This record gives sequence, C-alpha cells and structure tokens, in this order.
Amino acid sequence: MPAATSPRPALDWLKHLLEETVTLIRSSEQQPRVTLLRRFPVPRNFALPGNARIQHGRTWRAPPGAKRVKRFEIYRYDPDSGENPRIDTFEVDVGSCGPMVLDVLIKIKSEIDSTLTFRRSCREGICGSCAMNIDGSNWLACTRTIAGTAEPSTIYPLNHLPIIKDLVPDLTHLYAQYALIEPWLKTRGPVPERERLQSPAEADRLNGKDGKGPAACILCFCCTAGCPSHWWNGQRFLGPAALLQAWRWLADTRDEAAGERLDALEDPFRLYRCHTILNCTRTCPKGLNPGQAIGAIKQKIAQRRS
Amino acid sequence: MQNLGSAREGARQWWMQRMTAVALIPLTLWLAASLLRHVADDYATLIAWLRTPLAAVLMVLLLMALCYHMALGLKVIIEDYVHLDRLQIAALTLIDLLSVALAVVGIFASLRVALSA
Amino acid sequence: MPRALRPLSPDLQIYRPQLTSVMSITHRATGVALSAGALLLVWWLASAAAGPDAYARLHALLATDLGLTAMLVWTFALFYHLCNGIRHLFWDAGRGFGLRTIYASGWTVFGTSIALTAIAWILSSKV
Repeated sequence: MPAATSPRPALDWLKHLLEETVTLIRSSEQQPRVTLLRRFPVPRNFALPGNARIQHGRTWRAPPGAKRVKRFEIYRYDPDSGENPRIDTFEVDVGSCGPMVLDVLIKIKSEIDSTLTFRRSCREGICGSCAMNIDGSNWLACTRTIAGTAEPSTIYPLNHLPIIKDLVPDLTHLYAQYALIEPWLKTRGPVPERERLQSPAEADRLNGKDGKGPAACILCFCCTAGCPSHWWNGQRFLGPAALLQAWRWLADTRDEAAGERLDALEDPFRLYRCHTILNCTRTCPKGLNPGQAIGAIKQKIAQRRS
Repeated sequence: MQNLGSAREGARQWWMQRMTAVALIPLTLWLAASLLRHVADDYATLIAWLRTPLAAVLMVLLLMALCYHMALGLKVIIEDYVHLDRLQIAALTLIDLLSVALAVVGIFASLRVALSA
Repeated sequence: MPRALRPLSPDLQIYRPQLTSVMSITHRATGVALSAGALLLVWWLASAAAGPDAYARLHALLATDLGLTAMLVWTFALFYHLCNGIRHLFWDAGRGFGLRTIYASGWTVFGTSIALTAIAWILSSKV
C-alpha cells in the first residue's frame, strides 16, 4: 500500500494497481512478469514447408547426482540425416554451469552431445554471432542469463531463415540486403586534405548520447528475424537491421548521397512494408531503436516531397 | 533481391493513408456521436436529421475518406499475404472497384435523402 | 546443399506474442471488421433513402442478438482502430518511439477503447 503521507493517495493507489497488473516494458532486456500466451494460437507446424515441419526428438536425461536440473528444448537439424528438424530436450545440471544461456549450449556440446551446432565468438554481446530465439523472442545467448529463462526453456534458431544445421541459419540474404543499402561513406566534393570532421552533436546522431545510436548495431539480425513483415515479404522488404543502417548513413553529416539513398529506399516493399509493428525495438539485444530509425527515413521522404 | 529495382514510389500511398486517417478522426467521432443520438429515432426524425446540410456534407466527406482509407488498407493486407500474382492482381483490382462502388452508392443515398423534396 | 532444400526455421509458430505484435495484428483485424462496417453504413444509408419499410427491415435485423453482437464488435473495432490510429500518427510524426512510451501508449489505447465502447453502449441503452 502507498504511504499515508502521499498528497494524492488515490492516484498512487491507481499507479500501484497498474504496475501490479500491467507490464510496462522499459527496456528490451526486460521480460514480462505475466505471460498470457507463450506463442500465438496456431498449430505448431502451421504453414511450414514439408521439409521444415518439426518432429519430436529425444530426451537427454540429467546425469545421476545432478544438483540443479533445468530443461532446455532445443531445435535440431542435421542436414546429413535426411530427416526433418526435431526438438531435443536436454536436462542440464545448471549448478555446474556458467550463468548464461551460451554457457549451457557450450556445456551440452562438451558434455552431452558434441554434435550440437551453434555460432558463438565473443561471449560478451559485441560480435552478434549467438543470436537465437530464446523463450520465443530473439536475443544473444551470451547475454541472457539462465535465471532469466522459462522452465523448460525453448531455444530455436533465428526465425524464417534457411537452416544450415541446428541453431545456425544461413544469413546470406540478410547480408545481401545490408549490402543493398551501400553501407559506406559516399561523397561528391574534392577529397579533403585531412579527415572529415564532425562536431560532438553530429557524432551523437550516429552513436547516440547513450551509446545506443544506429552505429552501435552489431548486425546480429535479432530484429529482422523477429519482424512479421519480413517473414511474409523478406524477399522484397529490407527489414529493420538493413533499414537502421540505411538511416545510419542518411544521418551522417559527412555523407553526400542522401538523395540517391532515398531514391533506392522509396519503394512500396523495400521501405514501406514496415507497418510499425515494433517487434524490432522490443527485441534488440543492444537496446537500439530500428523502428524509430525507419520512421525517420519515412519522414525524410515525406520532407523532400513537400 | 535487387529484382526489378526500386519503384521510386510508395510515399504517396503512405501519405494518403495518413491524410485520410487524420480526416477520419473528427468524422468518425461525429458519426459515433450522431448514431448514439439518433439510434432510437423513428424514421421521420432520422430523415429530418440526415437532411440537415451539416449532416449531409459530413456524411459525404466521411464516405469519401472512409472508402479511400479502406481501399489503401485492404490493398496493403492483400500485398502482404497473397503472393500468387494473378490472385493478387485480381484481389487488388476488386478492392479498388468495390471501394469506388461503395462510396458512390453511399454518397448517392445520402444526397437522395438530403435533396429529395 | 542447395539453399532451397534447407528447412525454414519457424516464425509465427514460436515467436512470443508481445504487446507490439498483438496490437498491430489487432489494428489490422479491426480495420477489416470496419470495412464490413462500412458496408453496413452504406446499406443503412441506402435503406434510409429507399423508404420507411426498407429502413424498418434493416432495423429489425440489427435488433436481433446476432445484429447486436455485430454492433458491439464494430463499436470496439471503431474505437480501437481510432485510438491506435492516433498512436500510429504520433509515430509517423517521429514521436513516442521509446520502448516505455510504446508500452504505456499501447495499454492506454486498450483501456481507452474498452472504456469508450462501454460508455457508448451505456449511453445508447439509456436513449
């Protein structure tokens, strides 16, 4: 109950009630307190192509004497077996494991099933390699704590991508979309004798005052893989990751190709397939805001038309 | 993925969707409030209201903005989910034609009520 | 292995429903419902233009349980699409993109549209 000394007890009570019943997400790392639906009410293999339909896999029991057993349901696909993908359940003794989901994957690979395949490198959230779908939303395995996962915890590869093996998706198309926005400095004037300078305020547009500007993107593709519009029209819609980078170059005061960049973006699919769903901003493991960047591009295009 | 390149358009549809949305804010609020007031009217009272110049003009404006907004919205949905080319073109054409027809029928009905002796 | 033969990882089947995506698909669903509502509006105007008998027939149809249920759905659809549409217009103006604002405005839209629906129905039953 709120303190009796408050000048507006009714308002405080209402705020308290709202905070208890409604989850107000303040940052992308925050998990909802209450889960009404773990997934949308569609069949598990709804609309998946025949070779992508997921089957039941095997369960790897915890070793006897394990102290703190936690279950992980992990998407498996072995291209050499000729079989469909499956879900394996691993019982892991998290009492003898590092604190992060990536530690669990490494423990499984070294102690339980050495064929489990995933990408990882820096283990500190800066390389973007271990992006995957953990408990239904995309995040980096190295920065999600085991304590912050569900029971059982479900681990899938990034969504709607061709799977090479287990948790390793083929990112070729997403890199091609990144290349399409021409992520490099383009200038027209004569080459200056020294480096092109920016004021701190101009640099802030790229890096962000809080370090969360578009230039902080690590290209993990959590956002693009979590965007429903990219699921349905990914061949033509560039997706939040590429568009955030498109904005990074549009916002750069040293770049002189804004008009040409906007020409390439102004398309019913490339840019305007974004319907401001904002799953991107919700899921970004670096706390960046692709949704806002796409909004800024649309504003720039509206600006040059009026 | 480069496919046929950028269409260099799309901004117009996006802008018109927003323009019609802005117009529809006061117009739908007016419609909702009016329907609430006239929900229990008998036929003669209702017609008397529909014959007032304000109601007739606002109704015509509402129908124009509504049908335009509706066509744009429905077409985006078809573009999103229907990927068979022929089916998509047929659906998009149908939406355009039906939206125009709906607007014309609605406007004609409003004007007939408003202008008939 | 050729890329086309690789299995596609699941998307909608496993992605967690979040306020962002749930409100977006609701906006779409209410938009479709309101398109049917537009049809009814024109039908209603046409029946009013056609004369008292046609108007009375439509009114009788709307007074059935099914008609009233449809009207309730349309009322909510209208207010939801209106409120969330305003939320979208703020985004289009470049405002309200902070995650906290996205959630606060989202819950506000849900609450407001339910409240407006309730108010509209209480008022209409008192007439």
